[in-house]
Amino acid sequence: MTIDLTEPESPADGLAAVLALRRLAEQLEAAEVERALRDGWSWPEVAEALGVTRQAVHKKHAKRLIAAGVELRRR
Amino acid sequence: MFNRFTGEARMVVNDAVDVAAEVRSPRVEAEHLLLAVTRGSGPVARALHDANLDYEGLRDALRAETTRSLAAVGVTAATPEFSPFVDRPKLATSAKLALERALRVAVARGDKRIGSAHIALGTLRAPTGTVPRALEAAAISRPELITRIERAADDAPPSR
Repeated sequence: MTIDLTEPESPADGLAAVLALRRLAEQLEAAEVERALRDGWSWPEVAEALGVTRQAVHKKHAKRLIAAGVELRRR
Repeated sequence: MFNRFTGEARMVVNDAVDVAAEVRSPRVEAEHLLLAVTRGSGPVARALHDANLDYEGLRDALRAETTRSLAAVGVTAATPEFSPFVDRPKLATSAKLALERALRVAVARGDKRIGSAHIALGTLRAPTGTVPRALEAAAISRPELITRIERAADDAPPSR
């Protein structure tokens, strides 16, 4: 028998892991979308890489990146 | 919902929005309400400090809780860095639940106004979630915190 060390011990641990992963995914998205656009990616490229519409990714991130002075390519 | 809140309680909610923005959270969660209470200066903040819970201690306990929960599924990660969101964070479900619980706590105690004590109790009386888990892992006793805050509320009932 093998013991999977990455199996949460209880539902409480498992559900807390879901929450933490969700937040980590949001933070990682914010960081990586920013990096891609700073590297010269276009909005449609970023959107397709994330599997969402370009309107969705633009709506979520454009304001803060403009505020941060990131030079954005035309959508 | 906020019409029975004291001026101090409204300040706590406002400060929780600031806390959420400072820690780059797109939403205000229950833990941001408690963080806001710990960095206040009133009797409730003092009661929490007397029970060894201050802003930095709670913030560290919350970070440790995130690390521990990710580790439970084999994930370790540095916190990603990114430019902040511009819009003010909105109240998330966990914060709304905490404020609803604050309201019920006030009703049960026969208090007419909702003060920072009720907000703190609203986050601490949650049966599950980030706040109870973080405190448990940091070996901070929730029953003791609750007792101290109730005592502080008895001594200085919320007004204004």
